[in-house]
Amino acid sequence: MRRLNVRKWRLLLPLAALAVASAAIAASSFGATSKVIRLAIMSDCKGAFAGGYELDLGGAQAALAQYAGGKPTNRAKPSDGMTGIKIGGHPVKIVGYGCGNDTVPLAISETKRLMEQLNADVMIGPLSGDEAVAIAHYAQKHPKKTFIIGTAGSQDPTLQIAPKNMFRYHGDGAQWNAGAGVIAYKRLHWRKAAIIMDDYSFGWTSAAGLISDFCGVGGKITKRVFPPLNTTDYAPYIRQLPGPNQVDGYFWVVGGTGTGPSLKAYEQAYGRVDPKKFVGNLFFFFQSGFADVAPRLIGAYYGGFGNAPGLKTRQARQYESTVKKWYGPAKFNVTDSFVYNYYNAAHALVIGLARSKGAVGAKLQAALPRKIRTGYQVSNHGVVKLDSNRQAITDQYPQQIVKGPDGKPAAKVVGFVPSVAQSFGGIFKKTSPPPGRKQPPCVKHKFPWQGHIRAVVNGKITNKIIG
Amino acid sequence: MKRPAFDWHVVVRRLPLGVALGATAFALVWVLFWAPKTNFGPAIHSPSAFLLTLLDSVTLAGLLFIVASGFSLIFGLMRVVNMAHGSFLLLGGYIAYEMQQWMTNGGGLTVFSSQVSAWEWIVPAIVAAAAIACLGLGVQQLFLRWTMGQDLRQALITIAISVIVADQIIAHFPLESTVEKGSAVNTSWPGSIDRLVNLHVAGVQYSLAKLSMLALGVGVGIALWLWLYRTKTGMIIRAGVDDRQMTSALGLNVQVTFAIAFAVGAALAALGGAVFASYAGVNPTTDGQWLLYSLVVVIVGGLGSIFGTVAGSLLFGLVYNFSVAYLPTTGNNCCGQYPIVFTFALLAFVLAFRPHGIFGRPA
Amino acid sequence: MKALAVDKSFVERAIGATALVLVALGPLIFRGYFAHTILTQTFWLGIAAASLIFLSAYGGMISLAQTALYGIAAFALGNLVGRGEVKGLHLGYSPWLSVVLAIAITTALGLVFGAVASRSTGIYFLMITLTYAVIVFYFVGQTPLLGGFSGVSGLQDYTPGIVGNPVAHPNRLYYIALVTAVGVYVAIRYVVRTPFGISLMGIRDDPVRMGSLGYNAALHRTLAFTFAAFIASLAGILFGWWNGVVAPDHVGLSATVDLLIVAVIGGLGRIEGAWLGAFTFVVINNYVRGFGFLNNHFFTSLGLDASHFATYIGVIFLLIVLVSPDGLIGLWDRLWSLARRQGGAARSAAAAAGATAPRG
Repeated sequence: MRRLNVRKWRLLLPLAALAVASAAIAASSFGATSKVIRLAIMSDCKGAFAGGYELDLGGAQAALAQYAGGKPTNRAKPSDGMTGIKIGGHPVKIVGYGCGNDTVPLAISETKRLMEQLNADVMIGPLSGDEAVAIAHYAQKHPKKTFIIGTAGSQDPTLQIAPKNMFRYHGDGAQWNAGAGVIAYKRLHWRKAAIIMDDYSFGWTSAAGLISDFCGVGGKITKRVFPPLNTTDYAPYIRQLPGPNQVDGYFWVVGGTGTGPSLKAYEQAYGRVDPKKFVGNLFFFFQSGFADVAPRLIGAYYGGFGNAPGLKTRQARQYESTVKKWYGPAKFNVTDSFVYNYYNAAHALVIGLARSKGAVGAKLQAALPRKIRTGYQVSNHGVVKLDSNRQAITDQYPQQIVKGPDGKPAAKVVGFVPSVAQSFGGIFKKTSPPPGRKQPPCVKHKFPWQGHIRAVVNGKITNKIIG
Repeated sequence: MKRPAFDWHVVVRRLPLGVALGATAFALVWVLFWAPKTNFGPAIHSPSAFLLTLLDSVTLAGLLFIVASGFSLIFGLMRVVNMAHGSFLLLGGYIAYEMQQWMTNGGGLTVFSSQVSAWEWIVPAIVAAAAIACLGLGVQQLFLRWTMGQDLRQALITIAISVIVADQIIAHFPLESTVEKGSAVNTSWPGSIDRLVNLHVAGVQYSLAKLSMLALGVGVGIALWLWLYRTKTGMIIRAGVDDRQMTSALGLNVQVTFAIAFAVGAALAALGGAVFASYAGVNPTTDGQWLLYSLVVVIVGGLGSIFGTVAGSLLFGLVYNFSVAYLPTTGNNCCGQYPIVFTFALLAFVLAFRPHGIFGRPA
Repeated sequence: MKALAVDKSFVERAIGATALVLVALGPLIFRGYFAHTILTQTFWLGIAAASLIFLSAYGGMISLAQTALYGIAAFALGNLVGRGEVKGLHLGYSPWLSVVLAIAITTALGLVFGAVASRSTGIYFLMITLTYAVIVFYFVGQTPLLGGFSGVSGLQDYTPGIVGNPVAHPNRLYYIALVTAVGVYVAIRYVVRTPFGISLMGIRDDPVRMGSLGYNAALHRTLAFTFAAFIASLAGILFGWWNGVVAPDHVGLSATVDLLIVAVIGGLGRIEGAWLGAFTFVVINNYVRGFGFLNNHFFTSLGLDASHFATYIGVIFLLIVLVSPDGLIGLWDRLWSLARRQGGAARSAAAAAGATAPRG
């Protein structure tokens, strides 16, 4: 009988352990419900944009250090954390960093973890377009939480979905490409072009920016090709493009992990790429593109990323030195939009919390600034305005890949496009069809910035009009 | 008893084959003569487009063969479904990249093929294949040797390994500090072959690099055939494929043969990775894509058979390229999903009348 | 001496009953996040795993297509029920009709998949179902008509009345998921006792003999696969309501492998393993990410910091496959039989040696 009791005890032990463990886990995630403002910063630490992680955190935390008294734990590594953030006497705690991988499932589960398990009141982020679409839907259902987008370039979060608790202080993928199409027409003298784009919403949005501008001043797109996302072998899609003797150039809107393979497929069909015949988007230079693609395209133009590396204005220099002051030892490129956009988001949050006197929720959403001074803005006396969907109207800077002094590719700003709005001259409205395979059509159109795009030489905005 | 005039059983049994043959005939007619609303029109109107698509298919098949033959070899002999095959390919691609960068002082940036000599392509490929052969050997000795006969368990083990390897690749590659971890990378073909050659047929110019890739695939096929059918080790492998127990009962050292076969299979995956790094480039999603390609090729062609792998590679290459080129491209909701739908159709057709693949044998 | 009074199945039922009582009171005992994110996820993920384990335990077929099938159900639901600016077909059907149609579509597809794969067994079957999974992933990702790469959303806006708004009233979804999970468990236990289930097990063990007895093995496997697709579709509907969004990456290769990991951790041989594995996986997946202590230089240089939780899961999976291939439940079974054997040996030793104190 004694043995029997011992065995029963042995059997119940694992069960008890399981119950205790579950209770412990459940209890451990009890957050302290105090007056501390709880902030979460969402970024990607894996996947296609993993390189943006420290940059995003660094940008946001530099603003928190500068404007809210935050103290970096480790000036060489932003992800080590920050303490001492106080806005108007109210302490702010960074409860967690979200680690996405550019896919929707992880974005949602990280958002739930940050906003529900760790009870954050505000999120700065996410990094990528697809994540932002999913989080916009989440935001719609959680009106008491506030979301300030990090660097996502998808159009939906502030046009088609546009929840009242979501803010974006930078442009979307179409806005980023403003001016590049005009440069192709005026500087490269393209009249007929073909375009190849990823067959999904960011590809269409980014392409829309290039197409509208180019066709707006009189260019013609003779062929559109849409390889699906995650294509491994681009050869058959390249065959659908007209040959280099049939068009003046190609708009290349294949991004992410597809930029390199698609260009290689082109080279294996038509020979070495001529940089003067290729105009692309940010993927020509940023993240993987820097090592994989840019060396082959020295001299090519591309739509920017909303930033302006090398811009010589006082505001720009102030922004860059501020970030270097706090996170210089981290040695990342402070002109990168990953840093810049998260910096502006955090700066906006500080202003908003100061105005709302530490209140979150609807009060914070009312208090977040609709006008903010950002590093690379020049129009409107250097102030960025938000439109009625809480989406920024910003200046844009088309860029060119050049060979830097160290032999590596470098980005050079070549143009200045003032005050580009998400409506892109009126062609994108909530009720109009969103960017798609055939949308927008190739038509002549008068954009507000036509005739106002100025050349930028050596970081200075000149008075020379490009187009 | 009178025989019925019409035997339904025969019809039902032969139906899948009949459907498959009918579909193939229809496809040929479509591509050669009809093809309305497509990018090029039928072959009689634009023979150059047809020839280019055909060459694209065959050169892709060459690469598919290199990768899938490794998979098929490992399965045919050891009944191990190596789910880590894609990860081996990916790691091989990254190693080849690192090697070429080191040899050409690339500094982490893409090098132009004009700066790459043949040696600077061949050595990275060999190093990658050798490194992954060692890794494969290690995996086989540590985990697969003592789980012989437990097919499912071995498949699960290789799945676990693929998860770990894939995650660790993102953690460490590329090695250069100037490039973000987990970035896409590519190697360059040697300058001597990275150019177009005139084929003197229908005015077609084709990439010599891709033709070399096809030649490499053919070379690997011949080498495999010679190894399996003309050497003693190959003979033991074939005996082991046919009847493992009998082979070891005859006193032949099956364990050593298994180890060699797994190492060779892994090396082939890595070689495929090195080639693919030049053909398109590798990135952290490449492993999943190539696992799918290997699976389709060997399911269609049949496991454990070189001829099956050749057939599977050709069919897959043809279906992929022709479905993109010769299906209607007008309309808003076309095109992108064609290759994948037709891949499934290919799979379904073959499995419906040959459940073990075209040249496969029951386990 | 009397035989062991404690019966293993009695103990298991006791544990099961305790667990059931705990989760029935879940929303009251546990914190909201734990109940609605961890436990509800355990319920529907367990249902999906149960569809896999049903096929493996009773049909001898390891299918990697279950993730794709539950994904198809969620995608179908999203496309049917969505309206307005939601991506996809947004047909705007009524919620209950959409649910029924989504289940029907998935089950029908399961029939087709099963029919094509039914004559292949063992490892061939595994590979074919894996191919299905990846094909479905590419198909839903590359067809913008059905939502495309960013997927379909709005699933939480158009739910049947009884479900309500899963964000505002998560308890309703919690209990519906719980009831469905219990229902699936009972249904599977019932089906395997029917003549169909028994002949399925016979075909699992010896298809040749069953064939000579006149049983159509391919047909049985096809029907089993269809039933499993039906179960998976239930998981898909619950997943859709729980998550609100379904994107191609929810049915991709890593999601497919995750479900396999869930089933293997739990135990491929017994249905109970489905929910045990689901709970373990969800907990590890969720809490490792918060392990800040892993984010130091040492772990990062080894690629073992908190962002690489995939490596941790891979290692745990590998260990389980090496040590206990039939999962945690298999471990439990073996500990029992070990204890029983030890107890038996000690008993006979005690009987032989007199009044020696027994071990164990």
